[in-house]
Amino acid sequence: MIDVLTIADLTFFWGAFIFMIATAFAGLCAIRLALKGETVTSLMGVSALTTTAGVSLYLIQILFEIEFARDTAIALLVLGAVGTIIFARLFRMEEGE
Amino acid sequence: MIEEIFVLIYALIIITFVGLNIRKGSFIIEPAKLLLVVIILSVIATFMLYLKGIDIYLAIKSIAKILAGGIMFAGALPMILAGIGLFRFGDEFGPNIFYVRNHITGVIDTVASFVMIFAGLLIFRLDLVAVGFFFFVLIPFCGNALANAYYYSYQRRLRE
Repeated sequence: MIDVLTIADLTFFWGAFIFMIATAFAGLCAIRLALKGETVTSLMGVSALTTTAGVSLYLIQILFEIEFARDTAIALLVLGAVGTIIFARLFRMEEGE
Repeated sequence: MIEEIFVLIYALIIITFVGLNIRKGSFIIEPAKLLLVVIILSVIATFMLYLKGIDIYLAIKSIAKILAGGIMFAGALPMILAGIGLFRFGDEFGPNIFYVRNHITGVIDTVASFVMIFAGLLIFRLDLVAVGFFFFVLIPFCGNALANAYYYSYQRRLRE
């Protein structure tokens, strides 16, 4: 007898786990990009890193019910994107005009 | 044991399908038709679970959770390929490689926000949907601001 609830839980767990591994790999590549390039490339790498870290933390909160991970994830996702826009404008004004 | 085998086969089918789509460069099955087929299959599976005696709420929740897991399996492959792309396109390709990297980080952001939105909808977590949608709205502005900053800084370096 196949237990559907167990299948659902297992599918969700392994899906989230494999997606977290994939985001960790993308985050490592983003760290490499942030460390080797110039200023704007570094900013792009850090932006991708905040995205991957935020999504991973959100999935950790869903899987393991760790509440502070959600707050950190929201802060990373929102402030990472907004900070990227602000610093890009700053770089443009400082370096371009 | 049967449950683990089901999860493995399900993951392999989804990852293979996404990989074939990426390799072809376009959709093998049209997204509208695929969505229709998935919805019909989900309704049939929910109805069959209900007929077997499982509570209707639990049946809907189980099927939605399996679909959410499938979305995460589908999102894992583009994320890994985007990471490989960030490794692959180094500085030896010239100054314009920045725009390629900008596109790749855009892929990472888009996959992350899509997974947050659709998985959040399927597991009934509206906070995840809200954050994902907010992030999805901000992605084009991020990419545009980065490309703009790089363009003007590159122009300045050319002048110098």
